[in-house]
Amino acid sequence: MTLRLGLGVFGMQSVPQRPDHHVQLYRDLLDDAELAEGLGFDSIWLSEHHFWFDGYCPADIAVAGAILGRTKRLGVGTAVMLLPMHSVQKVADDAATISRLGEGRLTLGVALGYRDAEFDGFGVRRRDRGKLMDSMLPSLAQSCNSCDPPIPVYVGVATAIAAQRAARLGLPLFADSTMNVAELREMLDAYNAAAAEAGVRPPATHALQRDVFVTDDRERDWEMLLPELRYMRRQYGGWSFPQEPAETVQAYLQRLEADIEAKLKNLIMGDAAEVAARLREFEALGFGLIVCRSQFGNLPRENLHRAFEGLAAVCEEVSR
Amino acid sequence: MRLGLGPIPLQGATRQALEALAATAVASSFDAVWVGESRADGVGGGLASAAMLGQLVPIRVGAAIDAGLYHPLYLAEDIAIADLTSQGRIEVLLRFGTPASSRYEAPTEQSWFEEQLQVFAAALSGAHIHWSGKHLRVPARIEANQPAPERLALNPRPAQPAVPIWVESSERWMDDLARRFGFGVSGRLGGGVKVPPPTGRWPGMLLCPPDVEPKALLDAAGDGAGYFLIGAQTPHEVVTAGRRLAGALRMPDFPEWINA
Repeated sequence: MTLRLGLGVFGMQSVPQRPDHHVQLYRDLLDDAELAEGLGFDSIWLSEHHFWFDGYCPADIAVAGAILGRTKRLGVGTAVMLLPMHSVQKVADDAATISRLGEGRLTLGVALGYRDAEFDGFGVRRRDRGKLMDSMLPSLAQSCNSCDPPIPVYVGVATAIAAQRAARLGLPLFADSTMNVAELREMLDAYNAAAAEAGVRPPATHALQRDVFVTDDRERDWEMLLPELRYMRRQYGGWSFPQEPAETVQAYLQRLEADIEAKLKNLIMGDAAEVAARLREFEALGFGLIVCRSQFGNLPRENLHRAFEGLAAVCEEVSR
Repeated sequence: MRLGLGPIPLQGATRQALEALAATAVASSFDAVWVGESRADGVGGGLASAAMLGQLVPIRVGAAIDAGLYHPLYLAEDIAIADLTSQGRIEVLLRFGTPASSRYEAPTEQSWFEEQLQVFAAALSGAHIHWSGKHLRVPARIEANQPAPERLALNPRPAQPAVPIWVESSERWMDDLARRFGFGVSGRLGGGVKVPPPTGRWPGMLLCPPDVEPKALLDAAGDGAGYFLIGAQTPHEVVTAGRRLAGALRMPDFPEWINA
């Protein structure tokens, strides 16, 4: 089986270090989708968050509709939709229509979500998210499976518990970008054990998200990337473990920084051959689709396109 | 006067058929092309489909939406994103109290729709929202979710300063509700129905059959403007409706002999 490479994830954020207007950001995204199709990528992936100052994209299926309209071959996926906050009926009905109009090119990645403010905005108790996922996921999977062609559903995971939930339904995983090889291996073991216990045949492959930057000048690009990576990791870190009421800003930043440093180490950076070799390691674990994120924050267009072109060379390399 | 095609039903629609109708609408001088969802039949994605249409045609694109079925902030977010991807060309028709309510297990009380519009309108305005009503609390301020902000806002906002939105009104209270929030009012042509009076700068809208004659539309508009959505369903119907209506609606005393 050929390793497929997707491009993403895109959040269309108007970041403080380069605050483009959203009209421009969405125009750029549609241009990038066309470029990705031309460069031979398998798919493009969109991320979802709500009520954040940089305007992180809150409505993936609407964006997917636009991309499917602009392109002819490229797949479009959500990575990931925060299912417990949504009406599962709405998601299923929206996806069915857009998949049909998009001629079967839509894929849904769904996950729990974790940011309190988002759950609170929609009137959902964050602590109910597991139970909600347990009730929504089978119904969404069934609905997607009844479409013609069926809509693939991946389950976003960063823990063994979440992987076991997906395993019981035989749904493939969409593994978080911050997990290292040992963690991924452990999670896949938990997945396979749960699938066996439930008498479910596991899917042939899973999907994985990775931060990847293809470059012919590591030092030059690292200097450019670092502020953007820090912004992105600080934001996600801030959502995962927010500042405690009694904690000073200084103490909080120190706590965040430790997490950022650890996660920066997961970035795969190098020339096309080096990156291809690293991605092959994940393929060997059982990941047949790798969604490569090269857009961190809001990189200058020329740098981003150079990285996309480099990734396209990786696409060729891994398909040999 | 404005002329729109649709809403084209999304049930069973294919990209090819949708694109053919939309392209014909452009070539027939329609101002906009609309799609319509039908969530009672499991057909959603109206705004995402309009976002798709926005990439296929250069004119304005609209979506007729079954509203009041899920959290109004999702609707506001869908509108904002469809508007941004289409570079500010989105129009919306909201339909309340459709048969989809039972499928979505959504309330059908007037107070529910009122709160939906209250939160929805506040979100689209860019306000920092803090709402507490009978049905909705935004943010919910659920103890277990704290700390969370006391207010929230729709971000990103639509490209247009005010997205043109109409409410399909079959009862007086729907009409009143739409006007209270500054939305246009829509009705269906037939039985002597006139174009609803404008709300602010939005003309009243009428949904019309494909074979409607210009005179019927001009009579319905009287001395005011009207936005007419023509339910043509084939390229042939679109072409003939465009030829019959576009010129006649844009200028009084249309020379009928021009089409002979």
